[in-house]
Amino acid sequence: MSAEPTTRRGKTPLRPQPAPPRPGAAPVLRWVVHTHLRTWLGWGVALTAVSAMYISFWPAMGDNPEMQALVDGLPEALVTAMGYDAIASPAGYLESTVYALLAPILLLVFAVGLGARLIAGDEEAGLLELESAGALPRWRLLTEAVLALVLVTAALATLVGLVSLGVANLVGMDIGTGAVAGATVGLWLLVLALGSVSFSVGAATGRRGLAVAVGAGVAVAAYVANALAPLLEDGAWLARLSPFHWYLGNDPLNEGLGLPGAAALLALALVSVLLAAVVYDRRDLGV
Amino acid sequence: MSVVIRTEGVVKDYGHGAARVRALDGLDLEVGAGEVFGFLGPNGAGKSTTIRLLLDLLRPTEGRVEVFGTPPRTGGPAQRARIGYLPGELALAGRATAGALLHHLAQLRGGAGSDRITALAERLSLDLSRRIRTLSRGNKQKVGLIQAFLHRPELLVLDEPTSGLDPLLQHEFLAMVREASADGATVFLSSHVLSEVEVIAERVAIVRAGRIVDLDDVATLRHHAGQRVELHFAEPVAAEVFAGVDGVSDIEVDDHRMRCLLRGEPDALLTVAARFHVTRWSAEDRELEDLFLDHYRMPVQEQEEVAADVR
Repeated sequence: MSAEPTTRRGKTPLRPQPAPPRPGAAPVLRWVVHTHLRTWLGWGVALTAVSAMYISFWPAMGDNPEMQALVDGLPEALVTAMGYDAIASPAGYLESTVYALLAPILLLVFAVGLGARLIAGDEEAGLLELESAGALPRWRLLTEAVLALVLVTAALATLVGLVSLGVANLVGMDIGTGAVAGATVGLWLLVLALGSVSFSVGAATGRRGLAVAVGAGVAVAAYVANALAPLLEDGAWLARLSPFHWYLGNDPLNEGLGLPGAAALLALALVSVLLAAVVYDRRDLGV
Repeated sequence: MSVVIRTEGVVKDYGHGAARVRALDGLDLEVGAGEVFGFLGPNGAGKSTTIRLLLDLLRPTEGRVEVFGTPPRTGGPAQRARIGYLPGELALAGRATAGALLHHLAQLRGGAGSDRITALAERLSLDLSRRIRTLSRGNKQKVGLIQAFLHRPELLVLDEPTSGLDPLLQHEFLAMVREASADGATVFLSSHVLSEVEVIAERVAIVRAGRIVDLDDVATLRHHAGQRVELHFAEPVAAEVFAGVDGVSDIEVDDHRMRCLLRGEPDALLTVAARFHVTRWSAEDRELEDLFLDHYRMPVQEQEEVAADVR
């Protein structure tokens, strides 16, 4: 210790420096789960109830010649936009009620909200200050937060799949496990991709409102583009831009999940998170 | 390694373009190992900005910041593991209990100090089973203090540590700082109230508008604060007589009574006063608080002269 203007005035010498401690396994992920679990269980209950309710209408709605007659009486454009073309088949009914409508909408509201909250929301509220000042690199904090998003969306999508299979079986709906599994993976990837967009905007900017706006904007635009594209002449290009089309374009409950679509959803999630990680590592936190 | 914190010409701007705000404007600071260093200034002077630069929460616009000899960005997690940090605006929320949060924060440092949570909570009388969102401001501040001291850090960076604490707990806090200091830790604490840090700090820096305007040990600062002198004369005196006398300022004359502020030795003032018949005199030390206030009343240029004077 050299003689500086401010020496240590007779104090005991500093302890030898220990090796930097290793953070416990995924502390941030565990904390996110710990603090969010109740809310997530609530979403699980809501998804179960809504999915089960709609599927249980199958005998009265889809499996009913009058329903097909009703659909036939609707304007063709509306039928196409709502995806009711095949509503009288088990797969068509499950898709037009649960997989193409209620589950993605509910799960997107959930994932966009959670994505915006995980970094940006907690940062704006000042709750990330202590964690950011702890002994974790920023990339690690971000990775564990993304992992939370990945896991909870996977769990909720799986729940939708299990409820669909179970209730479909109960009401005598003829639908294959493989078809539901494929569509469930697609549903998960769609929700993960758009949740990642919201997460990434939040992590890159620290602005929760902006993150929700962009995430929700992309989701709505994707839904509308996919619904309108079939109505347009040469609308295929519009559909190809839509993450909803990436998910549903291959008719997953009949034909299985399209690999290019799945890859595109995964790529959207990965690219947005990677870009966010670069910005997050460089920017000022909590300003 | 004897310098724990060093900043050189640090400039920090927030925002871009027309909305750009300069929070730090050439901040130079050096804190030695084992020091208890007070960092004083009003809200908005740049205290929290400086502190958040040390934790790598912010990056400097210009200049150099070093903690343990390494810039915080390079030092990364290993460097932060050696620092205990209490934010100035501590935000805690949620349904989790205080104990769960403290264990979580300890986990971020590999569990270092998690065995001390119970003892520290008892010491500050914090109920660890309470949910965070039900805690009062004072109780949240206790959580903040505990997590800062938990891992026996080599450097404690405490931003307004006593805000929200009642006097009894302030006393306990000072004891904790003294113990950490006796254990070899360096302590960097900020405040906007001088009396809070003068009882414990060895050196004090006063920051204003993003620059250090005064920096010295507490004894010198106290000396610099000067004395309030009052002299009574047998006959009326003119203010001009005392104008320009060494160390004398703020002269007020009211018939045969003269009041002034005296910094440094009283010799010159006494020599002049002795030309008249002095009937009464009094001189009292000014509180450091007054000196602190001077810095915010004075125009910047004069302050720089004073600061240069002190150096």
